[in-house]
Amino acid sequence: MRRKGIDRRAVAAIARKDIRAITSNVQVWLPMAIVPTIFCLVLPVILGIAIRTGGIDDGSDIGPMLALIERMPHSSLKQALDSLEDLNQRMVYLMFNHLFAPLFLIVPIMAASTVATDSFVGEKERGTFESLLLAPIDLMSMFMGKVMAAFIPAVTLSLASFVVYGIAANIAGWSVIGRPFFPHVNWLPLMALVMPAVALLAVAITVLISARTSSFQAAYQMSALLVIPLVMLMIGQVTGVMLLDTASFTLIGIIIAIVDWILIRLIVSRLDRSRMFESQVK
Amino acid sequence: MDAMVHVEGVGKRFGQVQAVRDLSFSVRRGEVVGFIGPNGAGKTTTIRLISAVLRPDAGSIKVNGFDVRTDGDQVRASIGVLTEGAGLYPNLSGLDNLRFFAELYGVDDPRRPEALLGAMGLAAHAHRRAGTYSTGMKKRLGLARALIHRPPVLLLDESTAGLDPEGITMVLKEVRRLSREEGVTVVLCSHILHQLEMVCDTYVIVDAGRSLAQGTLAELVRDYVRQRVVELETDLSLERAHEIAARFHARLVAPSGASRSKLSFTVDRPDDVPEIIAAASSAGRVYSAVRVGEDLQSVYFRVMEARASEA
Ligand SMILES: Nc1ncnc2c1ncn2[C@@H]1O[C@H](COP(=O)(O)OP(=O)(O)OP(=O)(O)O)[C@@H](O)[C@H]1O
Ligand SMILES: [Mg+2]
Repeated sequence: MRRKGIDRRAVAAIARKDIRAITSNVQVWLPMAIVPTIFCLVLPVILGIAIRTGGIDDGSDIGPMLALIERMPHSSLKQALDSLEDLNQRMVYLMFNHLFAPLFLIVPIMAASTVATDSFVGEKERGTFESLLLAPIDLMSMFMGKVMAAFIPAVTLSLASFVVYGIAANIAGWSVIGRPFFPHVNWLPLMALVMPAVALLAVAITVLISARTSSFQAAYQMSALLVIPLVMLMIGQVTGVMLLDTASFTLIGIIIAIVDWILIRLIVSRLDRSRMFESQVK
Repeated sequence: MDAMVHVEGVGKRFGQVQAVRDLSFSVRRGEVVGFIGPNGAGKTTTIRLISAVLRPDAGSIKVNGFDVRTDGDQVRASIGVLTEGAGLYPNLSGLDNLRFFAELYGVDDPRRPEALLGAMGLAAHAHRRAGTYSTGMKKRLGLARALIHRPPVLLLDESTAGLDPEGITMVLKEVRRLSREEGVTVVLCSHILHQLEMVCDTYVIVDAGRSLAQGTLAELVRDYVRQRVVELETDLSLERAHEIAARFHARLVAPSGASRSKLSFTVDRPDDVPEIIAAASSAGRVYSAVRVGEDLQSVYFRVMEARASEA
């Protein structure tokens, strides 16, 4: 039975309410802020110091990195690297532009799953789910409001982190490369496609997890598993098993978006007020 | 038919528990119904069925002319519910809670949240986080939430539990005002029966998901209280009292001693009660006459006893 469609006012009200709940709750925004801070500031600063003290150019870790570049297929990244003169410059360029790229996705994942957990499990834990279900709002609108509440802050935080990371990376690498070198064009599909798709995926998975748990603890622990594929991607990047170029990032983004669509269709098709009430309201 | 809430043959099972079975009752516009029964009787479940958040397994429910199965959103828009836990967002201020629900319920008057907060005596706490409210303040805020969209039907589950005497009076007065002045239909669940007596027009008594008795207090008394007891505060001598008791075949209980004492007459026929009072006042002075055992609480126990002896 589908009638009037989406209730925009309710969607906006729910999204706004949840976003406000984040900013007023340290337990939510603190973990959300820590990861981007480490990634965008601490990491470049440490690397910057390492570069300045010359820790990078004569280390023994260069071997695998070198091999990585050697094995690289013809791509814009390889071109960019070839245009750089010495090994040190290549190392810095590769690290900031390439190796950390998958790691950057921790930002949208952490943000989206933290907010979504608070938003979905929070309604149950605080006994407010009943009030929400009692409202004359169709579940689709309610669900959309909740998804927005996690998606918008996650994407905003990721974009802001990207800008800060970019500035920090350019400053940190300046002494070696001597000109702005970030971002490489790979970051375009990464930020425009993969990042939002991954944020949405984290929301969808968190929704599925929260439907089965009623405590924050359990939900957070399970959401942490979301980081595993990223670590694998990162290992792939470093070892050169999986070398991602612009096209691969685009493809990955499209695949994740399709998975998002399937998961959300699945969740929406299962929305049932009475069943949800029976199983979720204490 | 002017039924605002119409419940017919409704059943609801949770796994092994049959929470509601074959329940029927009807509430007229502006009527205040007391919905009473022991813990686990199915009161909260019934309220959830009426407010279209639980789907009944059997039977039909109509609210304001809308069917809970097919017009859930219209049913929910017609109802304000104060749930057992008040269901408020602890991290939002009292005012922001109401503003949020005003948006959800499509309330267009931007002054409504503040006005309601004032009416509930919470104006001074509007900007405090609801999580820091006391139990009673939460209940009041919950009531404000339930009323935000001026619903024609109000369902109150344990709405006075945890309230101070002023809070109780406020809630009960508000319920009466809403029903008399605005024609709001009210279903009240409570275990504090003498409070219900102050506001309810009729009662539905349930146990184990089944309706045991329904009607006004007078009707319940007629059906369930077999013997009538009247207690007189009088200066009658014991001798005269015994005489009167004998005339009406009444059982007399009198404390020995005191000259002005409480005499209690128990009779089978309700019509004998005014006769006994008349006889006593012609034989002496009657300071007060109180009928005992006809209050809601006594009737409730009679209904429960009747059920126990049937089983
Ligand atoms: N969501 C649920 N899942 C399983 N059982 C439930 C659920 N909700 C209620 N019940 C069961 O249904 C029965 C009726 O519960 P209900 O809450 O309606 O009683 P009540 O009359 O409101 O009691 P109280 O006076 O204690 O509030 C109880 O046995 C309860 O355990
Ligand atoms: Mg109850």
